[in-house]
Amino acid sequence: MRIGTMVGDTLRSLFKKPATEAYPFEKRRTPERTRGLLTWSPDKCTGCNLCVKDCPANALELIVVDRKAKRFVMRWHEDACIYCGQCLQVCRFDSIHMSSEEWELAAAGREGFTKTYGNEDDIKQVMDALAASNT
Amino acid sequence: METTMETQQQAETLLQPWRERMQAPEQNRIYVSIRPDELLDAVRALHDARWGYLSTISGIDPSGEDGEMEALYHFCSGPTVVTLRVALSREHPATPSVCAIIPSASIQERELIEMFGIDVVNTPDRSLLYLPDDWPEEIYPLRRDFDAAELVKREPRVTKPAEAEGETFVVPIGPQHPALKEPAHFEFTLDGEIVTGASVRLGYAHRGIERATQNMNWTQNLYLLERVCGICSHIHAQAYCLGVEHLAGVEVPARARVIREIVAGLERIHSHLLWFGVAAHEAGFDTLFMYSWRDRETVMDLLEEISGNRVNYSINVLGGVKYDITPELTEKVYKGIEFLDERVRHYLNVSTKDTMFLQRTRGIGVMTKEQAEELGALGPTARASGVLRDIRVDAPYGAYLDFPIEPVVATAGDLETRFIIRLEEIRATIVMIREMLENLPEGELTTRMPRRVKAGETISRVEAPRGELFYYIRSAGGETPERIKIRTPTILNLGTVIVSAVGHQFADMPMILAGVDPCFSCNDRAVAVRSADGDSQKWSWERLRQYGIERYR
Amino acid sequence: MNTILSLGAILIFPSGLFLLFNGILYEWLDKKILARQQNRVGPRWFQPLADVTKLMVKEEIVPTGVNATLFNLLPIVAVAGPLTAALYMPVGGIGPLLSFQGDLIVTVYLLSLLTISMGLAGANTGSRFSLLGATRTLTQLFSYEAPFMLALLGPAIAAGSWQISEINEYAGSHLLLLREPIGFVIAIIGLAGKLELPPFDAPEAETEIVAGAMTEYSGRGLALFHLGRSAELVLGLTLIAAFYLGGVASPLAYLMKTLVLLLGLAGFQALMTRLRIDQTVGLWWRYGSLAVLVQWLALFALDMSRGGIFS
Repeated sequence: MRIGTMVGDTLRSLFKKPATEAYPFEKRRTPERTRGLLTWSPDKCTGCNLCVKDCPANALELIVVDRKAKRFVMRWHEDACIYCGQCLQVCRFDSIHMSSEEWELAAAGREGFTKTYGNEDDIKQVMDALAASNT
Repeated sequence: METTMETQQQAETLLQPWRERMQAPEQNRIYVSIRPDELLDAVRALHDARWGYLSTISGIDPSGEDGEMEALYHFCSGPTVVTLRVALSREHPATPSVCAIIPSASIQERELIEMFGIDVVNTPDRSLLYLPDDWPEEIYPLRRDFDAAELVKREPRVTKPAEAEGETFVVPIGPQHPALKEPAHFEFTLDGEIVTGASVRLGYAHRGIERATQNMNWTQNLYLLERVCGICSHIHAQAYCLGVEHLAGVEVPARARVIREIVAGLERIHSHLLWFGVAAHEAGFDTLFMYSWRDRETVMDLLEEISGNRVNYSINVLGGVKYDITPELTEKVYKGIEFLDERVRHYLNVSTKDTMFLQRTRGIGVMTKEQAEELGALGPTARASGVLRDIRVDAPYGAYLDFPIEPVVATAGDLETRFIIRLEEIRATIVMIREMLENLPEGELTTRMPRRVKAGETISRVEAPRGELFYYIRSAGGETPERIKIRTPTILNLGTVIVSAVGHQFADMPMILAGVDPCFSCNDRAVAVRSADGDSQKWSWERLRQYGIERYR
Repeated sequence: MNTILSLGAILIFPSGLFLLFNGILYEWLDKKILARQQNRVGPRWFQPLADVTKLMVKEEIVPTGVNATLFNLLPIVAVAGPLTAALYMPVGGIGPLLSFQGDLIVTVYLLSLLTISMGLAGANTGSRFSLLGATRTLTQLFSYEAPFMLALLGPAIAAGSWQISEINEYAGSHLLLLREPIGFVIAIIGLAGKLELPPFDAPEAETEIVAGAMTEYSGRGLALFHLGRSAELVLGLTLIAAFYLGGVASPLAYLMKTLVLLLGLAGFQALMTRLRIDQTVGLWWRYGSLAVLVQWLALFALDMSRGGIFS
């Protein structure tokens, strides 16, 4: 008949620091492979669209500015993304990355949940076209 | 001990009358095409000879002009799967119920009725399983002509609540209840504190995943299926990958195979530790709950280091794995599992020695070997009652072919044994992970996978932490699957709860429920109903017990 | 006693606000110690206070089909019991304000008022969980009450009086813990039963019956039950400290002795699994009563050999 088999643990814990991580006052380092903020660079992208096709959440949108000149603009819908990393896996040209440092992506409103990546003039061109079609 | 050859031959002998319509499309698979009026004879032939167990009943309505609606009854023994294919007419699809022979089939027959509109004649329970109470009549989600636009135009169904029989005191647990981590609805009929009847209604977390897979390509589905469940996400993805890779004729590199099982092992540890804490909490031993969950963080951190995420690791890709286990990671894993091994030994000690805890677990919720076999229990729930059902042993897959494992079995069948089994499984898994890490083969992580998968059907069975997970995958040669049927272990395990609950105190209900390690997210495509009354359509505990006694006389 | 003093005693010290805040403080300590034993951080100091304040200002929903008068009255009775009992106990280390022969018995009954009103409240509400909770609360009351009361009467026998102030004085010079160890153990475990702390928390087993008898209460009613509980914690600790730990003669002695007991109680809680209600009853009627009877026999024997009241 044994009672209180956890007494060793309970007494020891009284003299130890709690196991709770006092987030956000204390932050542990995140592992390298953490899938956080997604970024895309236009330099090597060939417009193969595999990342768009294979995204389970339809979070990526590749807008063609000039296919021959390989000018594209990528829109990433942060709120739809499930951070699975399939796009990273399937891209053969190292165009997509997910940050392991920036992962605190919650926000109080929806604005800013769509990130647009690309060369500045390309982005401007796309945004103007979008604005024009919306009016 | 029968060999696979003998098992297969035995099945062929039992199904002699249908010899001409038998096919063996590949190793360990037998398909028999039969008519609805022949079903009961075939089932009886297999059941009376105690050949295997009925694992899954799936319906299929393939597209294409000559696509025929079928009800598939999959019986498994060891690695062999015998599928009885019942051809159904489109105008009036009907098949007889097998519940007279196998009572636990009621759950899956309900699914056939509501998802395909198949008339399962004489089935004891026709109520809705997953679909909500107001789902319109005569619109079936898994039929090929299902139209969502049509659905919203129809009138909602009116479901009358079941009539209470006489003066009964019914206590509902769920859908909102502190005992449940996920929504479900249990009704316990009480006499004082003793349970005299139990029933379950599920579908609160039903997301229509099987239907959704038909609209997404093979790669996208990987991530969808991973999210069927949070604690068995890897094993779902793995079952899917095994099936699709098999259809496509792709062989996964050795290193990837082993990495998959290492992560599966870590997931099993995670799942069992989670369960342990929850079960302790249900018993009122909060201290044990807090400590076991604190220790669970260790394995979650390891998984985060390996895959980048604590839940839904997404380490599987079709054709292999995404991430490698570097020597640095290996060191971390060794340290982590060593710590866990020591803690689990401590918990084993607590679970078997702490008098107060034992008062809530020893001798409670006993399920005998016969009951477990009859009701189709799976996984640790079955192994705690002495029924050795473990896919890693019966039908080894992936790296288990190179790293065979010793399953953990016990005989007492009470709650305490279920605790012991799962804790011992954690320790056995730790040993396995060490061995795999030490002998990790060199090589590539992935193989090229075609975007279109060859037409065909396949069945993949894997051992999830809760028991056998059964995937039936069918391709029509395109970029999206034709049909994916998922049968999770909790569906069958819940049936065992209903039986072992009756006669116990109400206070033991959460513990008994927790004892089978229910995973409602996985499960929300199934339900079981049983009540302790004399209704001739329903099976009372007494009748089931009598049946069991007669059968084993 | 003049009116102002009486009002002061009832509303501020030693009963009233002092008791309630003391209760909240001890509740926080209990939760914090429990958390630290479980390797957690635990609530911050104002948590229980914030909880009660929040509950007080929330809407109270009276379920249909209940007797509204009873529904609203019972929480008040539940908190009135301990508040009244406090007038007869050395709360705060200052000798009991009121005192008369036999006030020990009255106090013990006043302390049970909380449990009885909780049981009645649960039965009144009539929802599945409340009914089960009420049944369990009252069943548990019948199981620990006898041994607990006898354990408290042990010191009364030793002191030769049924008056708390006299027992307190007697205990001041005789450490009854040494003379009646079994009684002490039964008293403290009985207190755990009274307060429905683990392992005796079957009446409000959240994983089985949501919140037991108090399931349908919200707002002010729940706050009052909550306060009644915390007040009982303080009073129970005071009584046991006064009787067994050498009397409560000064505020410092009061603080230290009750804190020591609280520490023990919190430590005990962390190691226990919840018992089923039938196991609780079985435990108390078999071992609890037996232990207390043994203690009493020893007392009689000792007393008779010394030519005390029973010889």
